[in-house]
Amino acid sequence: MIASNDIPSRTNPQETFVLNLGPQHPATHGVLRIKMTMNGEYVIRAEPVIGYIHRMHEKMGENRTWAQFLPNTGRIDYLSALHYNHAFVGAVERAAQIEVPRRAEYIRVITSELNRISSHLVWWSAFLLDLGGLTPLLYAFDDREKILDLLEGVTGSRLTYCYFRFGGLCNDIDDEFIQGTRTFIAQMRPRLKMYRELVTDNIILRKRLEGIGPISAEMCRKYGATGPVIRGSGVAYDVRKSEPYSVYPEFAFEIPVFPESDSMARYLVRMEEMAQSLRIIEQALGKLPPGPVMGKVPRVLKLPPGDYCYAVEAARGRFLVRTVSDHKEFPYRVKLRTPSFSNLSLYEEACKGMMLPDALALLGSLDLVIPDIDR
Amino acid sequence: MEALVDTSQIVKFAKLDDLLALSRANSLWPLTFGLACCAIEMMAAGGPRFDISRFGAEVFRPSPRQADVMIVAGTVNKKIAPAVRTLYDQMLEPKWVIAMGNCAISGGPFVFPGQYAVVEGVDQLFPVDVYIPGCPPRPEALIEGILALEQKLTGKRRWPVVKPPQ
Amino acid sequence: MIPSLEQLSDQFTRLIRLGAVAPNVQDSAAASPGPTATPPPSPGPVQPVDYSLKGYHLDITVPPGQVILAAEILDKNGFGLDAITGVDWIAQDEMEVVYDYFHPLSPLRVVVRARVPRSHPEIPTIYKVFPGANWHERETHDFFGIRFLGHPDLTPLLLPEDADYHPLRKDFNA
Repeated sequence: MIASNDIPSRTNPQETFVLNLGPQHPATHGVLRIKMTMNGEYVIRAEPVIGYIHRMHEKMGENRTWAQFLPNTGRIDYLSALHYNHAFVGAVERAAQIEVPRRAEYIRVITSELNRISSHLVWWSAFLLDLGGLTPLLYAFDDREKILDLLEGVTGSRLTYCYFRFGGLCNDIDDEFIQGTRTFIAQMRPRLKMYRELVTDNIILRKRLEGIGPISAEMCRKYGATGPVIRGSGVAYDVRKSEPYSVYPEFAFEIPVFPESDSMARYLVRMEEMAQSLRIIEQALGKLPPGPVMGKVPRVLKLPPGDYCYAVEAARGRFLVRTVSDHKEFPYRVKLRTPSFSNLSLYEEACKGMMLPDALALLGSLDLVIPDIDR
Repeated sequence: MEALVDTSQIVKFAKLDDLLALSRANSLWPLTFGLACCAIEMMAAGGPRFDISRFGAEVFRPSPRQADVMIVAGTVNKKIAPAVRTLYDQMLEPKWVIAMGNCAISGGPFVFPGQYAVVEGVDQLFPVDVYIPGCPPRPEALIEGILALEQKLTGKRRWPVVKPPQ
Repeated sequence: MIPSLEQLSDQFTRLIRLGAVAPNVQDSAAASPGPTATPPPSPGPVQPVDYSLKGYHLDITVPPGQVILAAEILDKNGFGLDAITGVDWIAQDEMEVVYDYFHPLSPLRVVVRARVPRSHPEIPTIYKVFPGANWHERETHDFFGIRFLGHPDLTPLLLPEDADYHPLRKDFNA
């Protein structure tokens, strides 16, 4: 590892060249483009160029009713669609003071945590693919399909869920789902142990990630980086605990924190989070209250004027919906504060002076979803 | 009197074009190019459950020079459109395009009055051979799209069409 | 260091009193009730808010010249930058710049707002206090055309390189 200020001899501008990474590049997981100014194998400056999948969700929000915007929330960060559903319905419920039945909140937590595991599994396989290991993808997608089967049974879709409604859910879960989820938990625990033995404890992976791409807690704060990135820097910041929403305070779970601040720490945070999610799901299934899954909601939704925020802990970090209402059927403004945007913004500072392969390991450890950045 | 060897079972005569088409249809190499949500379903199609390699289409190439078929999986916006066009131009003939998902077909859910960013259908940039509707299409739909492309190449369908139960 | 809500309110009240410019508080009744929008009523510059109703704890309205001072106060108290965005209040002929802050160690959420005239939307950049503001300000410039004075690079971030339009302005037509 080379700190950025230790390499004055390598920063001679006359010896640099520009390396264009993306927008079509297997390591950028989509259409991210990074303009790298290189000196040999060392990165002098890495400037992310974004906007290649900018689709303007925020303008769309102003063009449709509150309920009609709901499907959009599943397509911003498609890997953790249910968290984004949750933030938007949460903001509207907060504004309209809609009471949500407890059963619905429990099911929201169960499905969201399943979604978190499936998202982390995609990250895990794509990250290891970046580092040169194809096999983990085949294992992870096998497990992920089991989650998708469960979620498809209740939500009706495999990926871009639109399951939550203002005041509840569009349908209740059945015994098949509950039984299936219990089976999944029982299957997944030994799988996580296998992942640890197969990949996490692998010396090649350790050497590739330990000490690579340090991001200090101070830097996370200044750039607004959240989620596994800030938790991998030793700060126990998790919206589920710090701004408790839904019924999360009713469950016992830990926030995995690793103070090493390197790519390995961020890797370990996510691996540990999957185990914690299983713990939450197990508790929620055990305490699942009976009752309806849909509260009383007015037919035409007109929110009182003002602005309303709702933050959730998505798989990539803090997702905040800030809506402004002017007492019309359409939102006046919908601001989507996405975690990947802030997490990527520190990349330029974080990867100065790194070797190119290490810079890509750092990029993978940030777990970016490009439409989540570009919106 | 010499016994004539019956060669009809081991030797077949066909037009070279047909043979080439058959080989091409059974080894469609897609370009690794994911844009949005559909790319995850494309990955899932390559995963263990759906296993697109059963149809010879699992060799995702990062370089357009080595790819036969471009699966446009996701929304094409006006900023990326020149890059997509360049990738298409860089592919060697013969080449095919699959428009996967509603966004690539027509702009999908992202078309509304006031939309300025999205290209409404990738067929505005280059010809498309197979359209796969869905938001996102399931991996089975992508496999069906590949089979449809094979049929376009050889004129024959490899597997019977599965009729959904009534 | 975790500040309390009262300490923060005090610090901001002092800041606004010290400010040369009076706080730019809009009286919603006096503003013309336009056909498209009515602004949220903002009775005071520093206001504790019920979290369960709004999703944040402290609502602070400052004149545009004081956003850097506000950012410095929050920085000293250990806050992190959540997001920067704009709202186009076309009926009042004004644009609002909204700064969201979160605290990594406590559940405090603070919102800082400043209003600029629509004809002359300029506000100082806070990227020297929070480097993460760089991208957020570029994005706000993209969408609203609000110019952040002192910003190193206001070229389009999410829009194409040659974009000269600001799509989230209410009078924008594709």
